[in-house]
Amino acid sequence: MTELIISQVVNGLVLGFLYVLIAIGLSIIFGMLGIVNFAHGVYFALGAYFALTLRDTLGPWAILLAPLGVGLVGIVIEMTLMRPLYGKEPLLGLFMTFGIALFVEELIRTIWGAAGHPFNPPAWLSGFIVWGPVLVTKYRLFVLVVTVMILIALWLFLQGTRYGRIIRAGSRDPEMVSMLGINLKRVFTAVFGLGTAVAGIAGVLAAPLWSVVPSMSEAAIMPAFVVVTIGGLGSFGGAVISGLLVGVSVALSIQFWPAASTAVMYALMILILLVRPRGLLGESWERFE
Amino acid sequence: MKTNDKSGFGISRRALLAGAAFGATQVAAPFVITARAAESIKIGLLLPKSGPYAAQGEIGHNGAQIAIEDFGGKVLDRPIDLIWLDESSPQTTQQNMRKLLDEEKVVAVQGGVSSGDVLAIMPVAERAKTLLMASGPNATEITGKNCSKYTFRVDLPNKVTVNSVYPLLKERGKKWYFVVASYAWGIDAYNQMKDVVVKGGGTVVGYDQAPLGTTDFSSYLLKVRQAKPDVVYVGLGGTDLTNFLKQMKEIGLTKQMALSAPIVNDTDLWAAGPDAAFGIYPKIWNYTGAHLAKRSADFAAAYTKKHGGPPEAEGWQDWFGMTSILTAIKETKSTDSAKLVGFLEEHKFEGYKDAPIFFRNFDHQLVQPLLVAQVKDKITDKYDYFDIKSEYPKDPAALNEAYGSQADIGCTFKA
Repeated sequence: MTELIISQVVNGLVLGFLYVLIAIGLSIIFGMLGIVNFAHGVYFALGAYFALTLRDTLGPWAILLAPLGVGLVGIVIEMTLMRPLYGKEPLLGLFMTFGIALFVEELIRTIWGAAGHPFNPPAWLSGFIVWGPVLVTKYRLFVLVVTVMILIALWLFLQGTRYGRIIRAGSRDPEMVSMLGINLKRVFTAVFGLGTAVAGIAGVLAAPLWSVVPSMSEAAIMPAFVVVTIGGLGSFGGAVISGLLVGVSVALSIQFWPAASTAVMYALMILILLVRPRGLLGESWERFE
Repeated sequence: MKTNDKSGFGISRRALLAGAAFGATQVAAPFVITARAAESIKIGLLLPKSGPYAAQGEIGHNGAQIAIEDFGGKVLDRPIDLIWLDESSPQTTQQNMRKLLDEEKVVAVQGGVSSGDVLAIMPVAERAKTLLMASGPNATEITGKNCSKYTFRVDLPNKVTVNSVYPLLKERGKKWYFVVASYAWGIDAYNQMKDVVVKGGGTVVGYDQAPLGTTDFSSYLLKVRQAKPDVVYVGLGGTDLTNFLKQMKEIGLTKQMALSAPIVNDTDLWAAGPDAAFGIYPKIWNYTGAHLAKRSADFAAAYTKKHGGPPEAEGWQDWFGMTSILTAIKETKSTDSAKLVGFLEEHKFEGYKDAPIFFRNFDHQLVQPLLVAQVKDKITDKYDYFDIKSEYPKDPAALNEAYGSQADIGCTFKA
């Protein structure tokens, strides 16, 4: 039994990294722009579908280009649909992103059809490693490594560069940053593009594991929200801790009470919100208090 | 919550309105129904547009449309109007069922991939005394203890399909592991197959329920791997089955044990791809093979011509279901459900399968031969995944018996 529990905990941690990856983009866009992006799931799905379409012509390059394409879509949507809503009632942004989510999912269904598409991992990443009771597939290890790399890169970018400082300052006091002569519009567009591109990366990487269907966006959006909410809105550290927490909880519930494995993450979220209403590492935000 | 109006960039009221209006049209778009002719005969269709079974929903809808085209788009000299609403959960399906009956005034409703959804709308159809053609659910109780005078079922009951594949699976060993969707269909599948397995001297080494719409089965598969079963029986369909197959492949379990399910949809395997697909399954229909009867072969050809690819099983089910509704309307020269029910209870449909197929008058189950299908060892075609091992029952004379006697079924219609 101990062996099974160890193997489930490790499996849960690895799954947790996938949840973290899906949640990062949501966290960036919320943390920097204050937008609760209900359309996050469709950028995730678009990543997988762009890779699907490009891989026949471009091969492995598709994996790199698909997230860029998603980022571009994000940039266009930000400039046309999101930008007019900044500074308005936050509810408008919610409605807008919800509308975008429904529309893009329908668009995906129209273009690529409702049926799923096969999507295999590359041959060099197939297979698995067994170490005592622990079994990890090479592909999931790869996803873990990519997730950690993205997190480090984002952290370095936001903490260590001038652009990062502008983004962080702009998210808290846009008026002051604008008065310093910085074009915040462009900064916000870039951040939105970055967040959606990371969602696209998650979609590409999830495609070999999960079904590539239009409703994959729904499968991604709920865990992403739960992870970001538990971790504290806008906190990367919180998202990592909560993603791993959710992954392990799901894995252990499957070991002992599988029928509750979807409910367990919501139960965890409720519990944590009762104890820490801002989430694990959430900071206080003037504009949302 | 207070609004933040300190933002450094303004926005015109007009732009905001334009944006909001655009957003609103997008939200409303999926629900827009095109205008219809006044005299049309309306038939409702409840199939999934989203969620795990969305692929079946689309192909089922295509199949129903081909049935209407077979009739030249008309019956009793009135145009046929098919109104498709979403089947996404028991609650939504029930609401949409009411909408079809109360607002659209449909003469009959077809649909239901998920047994849970069908069980939720059967009482609504019964109260409205309107024909419900259940084209895609498999829970035994739909034409068993929960049967209804107004519900007819095209798809196969779990109780029948388990017997069709069991002899082949039994050869693979005695240790069985069950992973089933945690709702009516999956739980019924477990109960039906477990009874057969235990009676045959096999043992259940594991039984897990998975919520419908589970994306990641890796933790379940670790348990399966640990238990080393001879047979894995999964009450999973739609994207759940696709995910399960893909993740079995990921940890090297593909073809390491026998795999079966209460029923199989081609789309679930097409989505998993040729490397991940395997198993022995009961199958209601296959678009190609020696078993194909004339009318059904014509349907497959018409579908392929129109949609650029062959129909999966759900396409046939909804094509046949719609064909039977329209045949009943045509023959009775009526849209009165009481008359349609009377016709369907008596009629024999010939040319659709090897043997004449018919709805039984005491439980409204479509009695039909089914296929025992095995995924090919080497798949070379994009769609042609199955070898048909046999038909069940092998002897057409045993057909009625295979579906159980009136006493076994336990169905009594309310007066």
